[in-house]
Amino acid sequence: MIKQLSQRLLGPVTLALLALTFWLGLWVTPPDRIQGNLVRLLYIHPAIAWVGLYVSFGTSVIASCLYLWKRTRSTIMDRVAYCAMEVSAIFITLTLITGSIWGRPTWGVWWAWDARLTSTAILLVFALGYLALRRANDDPELRARRSAVFAIIAAINVPIDHFSVDWWHTLHQGATVFTQNGNFLVHGSMLWTLFLSLFAFTLLFFWLLRARYRLEVLRDQRYAASLDEALAQRRREGVH
Amino acid sequence: MPDTEDTFDLTPVAAPPTKRRGRWRTIGVLVVLALAVLALLSQGLLHSLNYFETIDQAMSSRAKLGTDTFRLEGVVRPHTIDRTSRGASFWMTGGDKKVFVDAHGSPPQLFQADIPVVVEGHFTSETSDTFIATQILVKHTASYIAAHPKRVKAPNGTVR
Amino acid sequence: MIRTALLVAGKDLRIERRSRVLLWQVLPFGVMALVLSGLALGPAHAGNSSAGPGLFYLVMLLVTLLMINRSQVIEGSSGTRTSVATLGLDPAGVFLGKALALAVELWITGVVVLAGAVLLLHTALVGSAEALPSVLVILAALAAAGTLYGALSGGGQGPATLLPVLSFPAFAPLLIAGERSYSDALHGGSLWQWWLISLVALVAYLGIGILLYGVLEES
Repeated sequence: MIKQLSQRLLGPVTLALLALTFWLGLWVTPPDRIQGNLVRLLYIHPAIAWVGLYVSFGTSVIASCLYLWKRTRSTIMDRVAYCAMEVSAIFITLTLITGSIWGRPTWGVWWAWDARLTSTAILLVFALGYLALRRANDDPELRARRSAVFAIIAAINVPIDHFSVDWWHTLHQGATVFTQNGNFLVHGSMLWTLFLSLFAFTLLFFWLLRARYRLEVLRDQRYAASLDEALAQRRREGVH
Repeated sequence: MPDTEDTFDLTPVAAPPTKRRGRWRTIGVLVVLALAVLALLSQGLLHSLNYFETIDQAMSSRAKLGTDTFRLEGVVRPHTIDRTSRGASFWMTGGDKKVFVDAHGSPPQLFQADIPVVVEGHFTSETSDTFIATQILVKHTASYIAAHPKRVKAPNGTVR
Repeated sequence: MIRTALLVAGKDLRIERRSRVLLWQVLPFGVMALVLSGLALGPAHAGNSSAGPGLFYLVMLLVTLLMINRSQVIEGSSGTRTSVATLGLDPAGVFLGKALALAVELWITGVVVLAGAVLLLHTALVGSAEALPSVLVILAALAAAGTLYGALSGGGQGPATLLPVLSFPAFAPLLIAGERSYSDALHGGSLWQWWLISLVALVAYLGIGILLYGVLEES
């Protein structure tokens, strides 16, 4: 009952929270002392990056590990890993795009070869490689195993990307929310809107993941059905 | 061929004990991997993956840098910005040291006093503190503070 | 595990020695790629460019791709994979063996291409010699990563276009480390940190391969 209700409410709640985020971000929060109205990207870019680099990529990697561990091996894990990685690829792309849009007016350039930007780009190529690997294999079990191994190797890049701003001098700013001493450097309503955006985009991820998962199940069913039909047709031909 | 059944022993045999060795090996490899990562982190390595040098770093390796092109970071000193026809010149501080920057090309929209910037270019000589820059990048910090509502608008429309 | 590794490495290297693919196809390819790099830079820059180290590693990356395909095709031919599986060889050993064989082949090619870089791109000889140890370590790391990715991309049976897509993001950090260490060697910088970094990368890929190669091979 509760599960059903939460499933039904996930979509509307996500949309409502996103709408609230945009309203707060575009109209209610004040412009920044230095950045002026450019600061409004703060309510989109970090949230998209959070979903793309950590939530969805992480979900995919955890599901891959669970698939490789014999006790929890199941088609469900494989599908979750695949669907989450697809969402991740889209969100990392959006991260790079929104980052560029922010970078041009603030830094003065669309792109810089600093550690954070480069490692994010490499992570995107990893995600795209994963999707290519999925398409290249027809045998479901082989595909699941290979892509799970690939996802785990790709996961090494996530901590590198996250800590790049601490380990090296980067043009990209340091940690905003997860600072080492726990001090937030964002003021008042800007901070709360930032948190809201992180939450709303996380919900968006789960919503997208659920929709994509259902699609994958349907696709598998259709494939199985078409196989049955083809077999039946062969049999009918044989009878004649 | 009735005899063949006797010659082949078809009774099931126990699987070789690979599981145990596999587990120890897994633990061993994971430990080595963790140590490798720690070794990397503890050394504070990969200096040359830095996008820029701070003024302190640049000054301490002044002789080695010479007139090579590199990126230098510092904070723009207030009341020193001089917008020239080619770009802008200003004093930049970092730690207790300062560098005079002569930048060619138009500075980015957010360029102003008291903010950290990264300039790309080179020193004019091995000993001078004048830096010829071909590009100014504004490195904004991770702090976001609301613009004071009573502050005046800058001529270009942004609120300072 | 070590015994299996030596066995497999010996097998791969013997096949390579008899087929002479390394000598007649891979080495000429490496040298040609280097010549093309020189042409791409243009006559004005080919002789005095600071791009030498980067181009060297780029060429070695392409060579590695060729060699990985080659190393996996050997495994795919006439039921080698099946016989390896039925012999019950330790997959970790097979991985180490194939990586070792690939590393030896890359070392041979690497030394030739390095000499080519000195001749064609006028990279300083002394600096190149100083960079050689780090080159060997990075090529070994490329071999370990490459063996893993070769198996991932379907071991010679998969589409040939898949391997570059999968492996380039993993090769990129090695390329960066290699280029920087070689450049530092040319400019007389300190090398020990690059040693450590490339060693860590090598150990990491060897570790992952030992753990996961079996998963890829089981069927």
